[in-house]
Amino acid sequence: MNSNASYNSNSIISNALSKSWTWLASSIVNKPNFSGYFEPLIQWALPQWRADLIRSKITTVRIESPDMYSLVIKPGSDFNHFLAGQYVELTVVKDGAWMSRYFSISSSPAYFKKTGLIEISIRIQEKGRITPWLISALSKGSIVNLTQAQGEFVLPRAQKPLLMIAGGSGITPIRSMLQQLASTKDTSQYPQREVTLLFYARSADHFLFEKELAATQENNTWLTVHFINSETDGFFNKEHLNKYCPLALNYQVYICGPSPMILSARKELINAHFSDQQVNYEFFGPEPMDNVETGAANVLFSKAHKQISVSENNIKTLLELAEEQNTNPVSGCRMGVCHQCICQKKSGIVFNQKTKKYSDTGQQEIQLCISVPVGDVVLDL
Amino acid sequence: MTTSFSARPDSAILDKFAEQLNTVRENVMANVGEAEAKHIRKIIRIQRANEIIGRICIPLGFFNPTLWIVGVLLLAVSKILDNMEIGHNVMHGQYDWMNDKHINSRSFDWDNAGDSNSWKRYHNHEHHTYTNVIGKDRDFGYGLLRLSDDTRWKPKNVWQFFTYMALAVFFEFGIAYHEVAGERVFIGKRKKKSSLPISIQKLRSDFFSKIGRQFFKDYVFYPLICFPAFLYVISGNLAANLIRNLWTNTIIFCGHFTEDIHTFKASDCKDETQGQWYYRQVLGSSNLEGRKWFHILTGHLSCQVEHHLFPDVPAQHYPAMAKEVEKICAQYNVPYNTGPFAKQLFTVWQRIIKYSFPTVKQASAVSA
Repeated sequence: MNSNASYNSNSIISNALSKSWTWLASSIVNKPNFSGYFEPLIQWALPQWRADLIRSKITTVRIESPDMYSLVIKPGSDFNHFLAGQYVELTVVKDGAWMSRYFSISSSPAYFKKTGLIEISIRIQEKGRITPWLISALSKGSIVNLTQAQGEFVLPRAQKPLLMIAGGSGITPIRSMLQQLASTKDTSQYPQREVTLLFYARSADHFLFEKELAATQENNTWLTVHFINSETDGFFNKEHLNKYCPLALNYQVYICGPSPMILSARKELINAHFSDQQVNYEFFGPEPMDNVETGAANVLFSKAHKQISVSENNIKTLLELAEEQNTNPVSGCRMGVCHQCICQKKSGIVFNQKTKKYSDTGQQEIQLCISVPVGDVVLDL
Repeated sequence: MTTSFSARPDSAILDKFAEQLNTVRENVMANVGEAEAKHIRKIIRIQRANEIIGRICIPLGFFNPTLWIVGVLLLAVSKILDNMEIGHNVMHGQYDWMNDKHINSRSFDWDNAGDSNSWKRYHNHEHHTYTNVIGKDRDFGYGLLRLSDDTRWKPKNVWQFFTYMALAVFFEFGIAYHEVAGERVFIGKRKKKSSLPISIQKLRSDFFSKIGRQFFKDYVFYPLICFPAFLYVISGNLAANLIRNLWTNTIIFCGHFTEDIHTFKASDCKDETQGQWYYRQVLGSSNLEGRKWFHILTGHLSCQVEHHLFPDVPAQHYPAMAKEVEKICAQYNVPYNTGPFAKQLFTVWQRIIKYSFPTVKQASAVSA
C-alpha cells in the first residue's frame, strides 16, 4: 500500500516535471524540446546529427551476391545491447531528405560484444529508391543514423528445439540467431538445442551466407541446414515438413521472409495442428491485409482502426476515402495548396495528382487531398 | 481599383497560360533536393546565431549602451528570419519533403504571438485560396481598413491611417487575433456555419496559451535570468518585437495593397479553372525589387506574385522564377505588378489615405 502510494506520487512528480520541461521549451525556443533548437547548430559540426537517433559510422560495405550487400556499422556509444533477431531503423539523408528503412541485424550480439560492430544485410529492390542507392552512397566512414534495436522476433532462451523457415533475405535475423547459438559458450544463457533450418531461395545463386551456414553446420552437431530451391521444389508445405523435420510438432517454429511466404507457411502449420504460441514470425511493416482482391488497394486508418478496400480503377483521393470512413481528417483547399490535410503515411505507395509522381514506400508526410492510393496504404489517422 | 473581369482572357487562353506556368513550376520542382535543404538549414543556423548573440548583447547594454542597440538589431533580425524566411515558408509546406520533424509544416511553431496552427488555417486556406476576394479573404484590410470601394465607407475610416499604424505596431497580435475575430469568439454573434476544425474552447485556449508563452519568454524568463539588467532586457525584447512587427506588416501590405492591385467578388472565383485561379493570383499580388538579402529578410514575400502562384515551391527560387513569370504574363497581357520597395510602399500609404474618404474625388484631392 505504502510503496504503491510513493510510486504513484513519484510518477506524478516526474510527469509534472516533464510536462513543465516541455512547456518551458515550447515557450523559450518554440520547439517541443530544447534539442530541436540546437540540432541545426550541432549539425554544423557533426553532419546528420539527430537528438533522437544514434549517429553511427560505416566501417565496411561488403558485397554478398549480385543483389545483396552487407553494411558493417559501428553504432554510436549510446547504442544499447540487442537480442539476436531484432531489427533497427536506418536513417540516411538522400537529396536533402531524411529517409528511413527497417533492417534486421544479421550479426550476433556476441559479435557486437567482441568487436563493437553490427551488420545489416540488404537486398537490392529493383525499383526501390533506397536500397540500390545506399550501396553507391555509402563507403567506409559514412555516417548513418540508427534507432535502438527493437522487435519481438528473438532467439528464445528455453531449451525447446527450433524449426527455422527462411525465405530469401529473411535469412538475416536467423543468421544472427545461429551465430549467437554457435558462439555462446555460456549455455545458461542460451542452452544448446536441436535446430533445423529450411532455407528457401529462388535459385541456387540466391542462398545468402551459404558457405557460412554450411560451415556452421559442419562445426555444430545441433544444426541441420536444408537449402531448398523454391523454383523447382516449391514453397514450404506438408511434404517438406515431413521430409525435413518430421518431429517438428514438438519444436518452436520461427518464420522469416516475404509476407506471402509467411502467410502460406503459417497456414500450412496451423493445418498441421501447430498451436499459435508455437509459431513465431515477423512482418516488415504492418501485417498484410487479408481478403485482398487482385489489383485492389486496401487503405488502413490505423488510429481509427478502420479499413477500406478500393477497386483498381479508383479515382478517389485519400481525403475522400478518409471522410467516407468518418475518420475526421482536417481539410482545407482540397487542391493541394494549403497543406492542411497533411497526414503521416506509415507505409505504402500513393500517387500525387498534382506532381504526377509516385511516393516512396516508407514513412512520410502526404497531402491527403491530392493523393490516390496505389496498393495497400497505412495512414496515421 | 476593383476589377471587373471584363478584361479576363478566355478560359482556353488561360489554360495555355496555366500550362506555361506549370512548366516553370515543374522545372524547379524536378531538381529540388540537397541545395534547398542546405539553404534552409543555413538560414536556421544564421537565425539561431543572431538570437543567441543578440540575447547575450542586450543585457550587456548595462555596461555599454551600444551593445544594447546591437543586441536589439540582432534579435530583431532573428525574429524576422524565424517568422518569414523560415516560419512562413516552412508552414506553407515548402520543406515537408525533407522529412525533418523540426522543418515541417505540421509541427513548426514560430517566435510570434500568433498560434501557428491558427495562422495556417486562415492564411494557407482562406487567404491563399480566396486572395483579395472581398468578404472571403479577411486579410484584405483585416476588417479594420477600407482599401477599395468594394466596401462601404464608414466614419471610422477617416482616421484609418492611424489604425493602420497601430496595426503595424501590434502586428503579431493582429495575426494572433485574426481567426479568433473571424469566429467572433469574444465579440459579436457567433457564426451559424463555421468550418473551424477545432472547438471554440480550443481556439480560445490556444490563443491565450501562445500569447502567454511568448510573454513569458520575452518579459519574464529572460529578464529574470539577467536580473540586474532586467530593464535592459525588457526594453530590448520589446524593441526587437516592435521592429519585427513593423517590418512584417510593411512587407505584407506591399504584397497585396499597392496601387494597381485588383480585388474580386465571390462570384468571380466560382468554379475557377486552374488558369483562372492563376490569373486572379497574379492580379491580386505585387512584387518588390531588391537584392538577395532583401528577398531573404522578406521571406521572399517580395516575390508575392510567385508565392501566390506556387505557395509550396521552396521560396529561394522565386526571384529566378519571377523573370519567367513576368515574361509569360506579358505574352498573355496579364498585368504584372512590380516595383522598387519605396515606390510600392508609397502607393500602399496612398491607398490607405485615399479610401479613408467616401468618394474617389475627395481621395485624389487628398493624396495630390
